Amino acid sequence: MKRCILTILLVALLVSSMAFAKTKLTFAVHWSDYQVEGIKDKEGNVVTKGLRQYVEEYMASNPDIEIEIQMVPFGEYLTRILVGRLAGAASDIYVLYSLWGVQLVESGVLDKVPKEVATAIKNDFVEAAVGGATINGEIRGIPTEVANYALVYNKKILKAGGYDEPPKTWDELIDMASKLTIKKEDGTVQQYGYVYDTSSNSGTVHPYLARLYSLGGQLFSNDNKKCLLDSKEAIQALDAEIEIFRRGGTDSAATHGDFQNGRAAMVILAPWWESSLKIAFGDQYEETIGVAPIPPMKDPKSVSYTWFVGVDALSKNKKEAWKFLEWFCIEPLPNGATRMGEFLANNIGAIPSRKADLDAFPDKLNDLYTSVYVQELANTVPEPNVAQGEEIKNIIWREIIEARHQRKTPEKALSDAKRQIDEILSEFY
Amino acid sequence: MSKVGRKRARAGYGFISPSLIFYSIFFIFPVVFSLIASFKRWNGLIPLFSAAWVGLENYKWLFGSDLFVSSVINTVVYSVVTVVVGIFISLILAVLINGSKLSGFWRLLFFLPTVTPAVAIGTIWGYLYRANNGLINQILGWFGIKPIRWLTDPKTALLSIMITAIWAGIGMQILIITASLQNIPQDYYDAAKIDGAGSFRIFWSITLPLLRPILLFLTATGMIGAWQVFDLPYIMGTNAPAKSIMTVSWYVYETAFQSLRMGRASAGAFILFCIIFVANILVLRAFKKGGIEGYE
Repeated sequence: MKRCILTILLVALLVSSMAFAKTKLTFAVHWSDYQVEGIKDKEGNVVTKGLRQYVEEYMASNPDIEIEIQMVPFGEYLTRILVGRLAGAASDIYVLYSLWGVQLVESGVLDKVPKEVATAIKNDFVEAAVGGATINGEIRGIPTEVANYALVYNKKILKAGGYDEPPKTWDELIDMASKLTIKKEDGTVQQYGYVYDTSSNSGTVHPYLARLYSLGGQLFSNDNKKCLLDSKEAIQALDAEIEIFRRGGTDSAATHGDFQNGRAAMVILAPWWESSLKIAFGDQYEETIGVAPIPPMKDPKSVSYTWFVGVDALSKNKKEAWKFLEWFCIEPLPNGATRMGEFLANNIGAIPSRKADLDAFPDKLNDLYTSVYVQELANTVPEPNVAQGEEIKNIIWREIIEARHQRKTPEKALSDAKRQIDEILSEFY
Repeated sequence: MSKVGRKRARAGYGFISPSLIFYSIFFIFPVVFSLIASFKRWNGLIPLFSAAWVGLENYKWLFGSDLFVSSVINTVVYSVVTVVVGIFISLILAVLINGSKLSGFWRLLFFLPTVTPAVAIGTIWGYLYRANNGLINQILGWFGIKPIRWLTDPKTALLSIMITAIWAGIGMQILIITASLQNIPQDYYDAAKIDGAGSFRIFWSITLPLLRPILLFLTATGMIGAWQVFDLPYIMGTNAPAKSIMTVSWYVYETAFQSLRMGRASAGAFILFCIIFVANILVLRAFKKGGIEGYE
């Protein structure tokens, strides 16, 4: 009798615990502390919502769901995906850089986007972002932020050099860069006319691609079987960069840090540099910083890269994960924007990729800095999504650096890059 | 074997089993795993067993890659220069410090960089090496020397990093050498002085031979560490042409975690292992020829 009662109790306990068990979702993000926890005032009160506040809001309205946020530094994010899957501890939801997309999709890492979500993305998001989240012709995640490039210039340096306006063409930029560079008697440079963003391979490759697209060139053939860096446009686009070096408008020692320190006139940057520049220039920010479209070589063009959120194909809770993402990234608030759009514009300071989100935060997206980037979305071409995208980008970056150091001519550097990239493409296409 | 002998053997195996298990899990398994991976085309995202077997293709590809070959050459240069020059400078400084009144202070001073994180060292030296407003170029400018683009000129980038590495590494070497110097009996020096030996003769005939075992230790461990160098070149050298600055560990890291070519990266790691193994055999043999034994 005792045994029977004990068994019944155990079964009841098991059933009740199953009934009340929450579905747990893990959300791996590369965002920093304030982006996750929210921006707080001195008393510790949240003044701008972070991801955690949105997640708590969702959990409050969906008590059967528990979401754990996993913060992973960007440099270790891909490693985290690899290790997590190898160890059988993959996250359910990822925030992914579009360039990783092809490999993740072809290795079966990403779940397919539900049909209604894919339709909403096609209808509601800017073309550059949809392109970024499209892999092998299929949308594989919900685009979050889109980052394109523009020319950021120091108004005071331009004014002192006799220029009231930023350059309108690339030739003008070369000319202005060489005139605005000031060298001291000992050979050191006091002020650069132009510097590069040296913080990553993107800072070199993306502005190059913008010039290539401006000339009507392409990086790959339409079937992705051939790299087209031996084209006339590709060589011309790199030669135009090296010309700044030849004319003394910059040199290999110049970095984006020189711009932030007020010792450089112009640099091509992504929109997320805004906060750093505001900190660097302090109360002089508005009277010093100007932003303009990248001076075109022919047609006005910029290049963009996209982030998108996706669900792991191994997730046991795919349905719940997509439901949360729909709530966060697709479902509109009363002002027409999504929670993700609100989070990107207010907290991260990034450009949301959903059209209605772009109109919903005029104070954030129409300021002197970001407004140019938003306007330039119309001229923006997404970075191509191909297999081994990061490896290919590193190859182009390294060969451009070889050309900048005059160790190779632009033709030779690009022909070497093409040879290596063609070898990679032949493996996958 | 007798019953007692078998019991003792079992007990012996029991005692060594924790170490054996630890060693198998954390050393033998990963080594075998990555050796198998080096023969496969594996991106780390799919299970290793389902990745295609490519035989020696990864190894062949690496030996045909200009960047990998350059990274091996850079690593060889870096290892030999930082270890040999570092030990030479440490030896001289240790001998000088050993006789001084402020020996403890000097040892502390030279040891401080050893406990400083490589990221901080790389960042600070990056500022010192700046071409336009760096301290080093300013000092050189006082002597009429034109500014040098230390970290971006392919001719000087690796040299600059080696200087930093030597500066950061000599503290530990000085500490070990001074400890060994204090173990040399004073009687030897007194006898040599009575026989009329000068300072250099005493150093050459007494100090140096008695320091040989510790110099072997420093060379062997220094080489192993130097071959695997990653942090300083990665932090300081990203804006120089890669062929002039990249090391094998950096190459392997990038190949594995950016290019997602785990098979190729594993092959690179094994090539590095073979180089370290052969280099250390050569060092041990050289020292054995010189009369030092016990490290075989």
